[in-house]
Amino acid sequence: MAKVETFRCMMCGYEYQEPVEPGEDKERTCPKCRSNSIRHLKSRPPKEATGG
Amino acid sequence: MEQVTGYVGNFTATIRKKARYVDPDQCNSCGECAKVCPVVKPDEYQMGLSTRKAIYIPFPQAVPCSYILNMDDCLGNNPIACGKCAEVCEKECIDYDDQDEVVTREVGSIIVAIGLDVYDPTEMDEYGYTRFDNVITSMEFERLICAGGPTGGHFVRPSDHQRPKRIAFIQCVGSRNPENGRPYCSNICCMNTIKDALLLADHYPDVECTVYYQDIRAFGKSFEDFYQRSKEVGTRYVRGLPGDIAEDPESKNLTLVAENTTTGELERREFDLVVLSVGVEPPKDMAKISSLLTLSKTSDGFFMESHPKLKPVDAPTRGVFFAGFCESPKDIKDSVCQAGAAASRAGALLNAGQIQIEAVTSVIDEAACTRCGLCAAVCPYGAIKWKKGEVAVVIEAACAGCGSCGATCKSGAITMRHFTDEQYYSQIREVLAEDQKGKVFVFACKWCSYSGADMAGISRMRYPASNRVVRTLCSARVSEDMVLEAFRCGAPVVLVSGCHYADCHYINANRQTVKRVQRLWNKLEREGIRPERLQLEWISAAEGRKFARVMEQMEELRRTVTDEEIEHTVKALAPKPKKKKEKEPAGVEG
Repeated sequence: MAKVETFRCMMCGYEYQEPVEPGEDKERTCPKCRSNSIRHLKSRPPKEATGG
Repeated sequence: MEQVTGYVGNFTATIRKKARYVDPDQCNSCGECAKVCPVVKPDEYQMGLSTRKAIYIPFPQAVPCSYILNMDDCLGNNPIACGKCAEVCEKECIDYDDQDEVVTREVGSIIVAIGLDVYDPTEMDEYGYTRFDNVITSMEFERLICAGGPTGGHFVRPSDHQRPKRIAFIQCVGSRNPENGRPYCSNICCMNTIKDALLLADHYPDVECTVYYQDIRAFGKSFEDFYQRSKEVGTRYVRGLPGDIAEDPESKNLTLVAENTTTGELERREFDLVVLSVGVEPPKDMAKISSLLTLSKTSDGFFMESHPKLKPVDAPTRGVFFAGFCESPKDIKDSVCQAGAAASRAGALLNAGQIQIEAVTSVIDEAACTRCGLCAAVCPYGAIKWKKGEVAVVIEAACAGCGSCGATCKSGAITMRHFTDEQYYSQIREVLAEDQKGKVFVFACKWCSYSGADMAGISRMRYPASNRVVRTLCSARVSEDMVLEAFRCGAPVVLVSGCHYADCHYINANRQTVKRVQRLWNKLEREGIRPERLQLEWISAAEGRKFARVMEQMEELRRTVTDEEIEHTVKALAPKPKKKKEKEPAGVEG
């Protein structure tokens, strides 16, 4: 079953979430700047607006 | 095929021969067993358009031409629930106790010719394949018009078994369509439809055929003549694909609405039968074969050859060759050509008795090996033999020299011939010997990224001159310590670049690159260094423009790195005296 994981582009800093299938073998590209420097942020919840 | 071990010239293949429950040497195909069998199932060979029994001949030209018993369909053999087939078999060749047989074969080379699957059009609901009886696929058309088919070659439509007089063919169903189906051209559908239209005109001169297409790709020898002949016999070609199909509930006739892009008019036409010219897909057991033979796949899912131009039938794994559709969509003629080439390549290999390999292979120093087995785990070719507690051994005939093992080995026990660690470290130190702050340090794999840089150069593309490229065999050859060494030598930014996933010239070695870069980002962050200073890019040989763009981005990034950051990096990554000795003395000399 796919698990939603968080990724960050190390070129532009864009952070996004994407479902990842177990054993998935996929080339990752930043949806914003097309860079391949995509860091997998394991076990880190996505940033949420805290308000105030 | 259940398992394949060994390497070129010395493969051991484990094969499961499924139980037939009928002795093929004794069976004389009299058919008495099938007559009494009470089980009726859809006939897969006839695309479900007719039925078969649980005991049957798989298809008319089957070799050996003997019956088989499908135990999944049979009423049961333990205990025997029916037994009628065995009762009437005069030759007594039915054996309910037959078992699968596992055999091993020693082979020198392997030819992969596992064929194709046909696209299932059920997901394209606009064409009503699941809703309308008279919408069929091109495969079903083949069975209906074949003399060995369910109707004996009398072409009828499924709803009323009457001969259709107005037939529409819709091209590119599941092909050239990334949203519904596959993005690639299936290669064979255009000529198959033209052949079908000619066949219909030959059998039934009063039949009107209309082909809806986006392009007719008739590029082979005499194919254009074939296309023109179909036009001469009255086949009408409409450039435009229908958006929808509607059925008349009474007559079961089908109305197609399509824009004829040649005339710009919207056409509404009624047909008795619609044939969906379905595309092809890689076979479903591709992943299993890929894993057994350590093969890689291209982005469209077919097996990747060793080199698209110079070694089109060779797999990246030595001793393995491709024939037919599993490598890419192709017609019968091309499949036969490729099969001949694969057989020749395999024959030449076996007759030679010995093979010549590139001298770029890894060598393991037994004394330095810590027996951890990491090298064996990362080798994409399975070229390193290792057992727990034993020294790893390189099978040089299977090693392709990617260097992934050398970059992984923590004890420095692995040397890559002609691309040694010492050579790389020397290059890093020399490049960064002076004016470090003004340089973008780049590791580029020789196959794609380095060629991408070449492409940018020969195309006269402009990009900042600050980059200094060190060529590696594969991006997986770049160890974590090599990247750290570049930072220790004062590099403001480092780029590791390699082939795209689907283009990796060492099966999937560049996945190790991704893992290493991820670990390096974590390490840099732990040391208080901006991880962004290390970048990763996949650049193909054709992507000169991308190389230039990445160099511009790297130059922008370089300008943001301060002297203080570089100073901190050098200190933070300096070798710790108390830690275990690294395989390469790290740190800036002096």
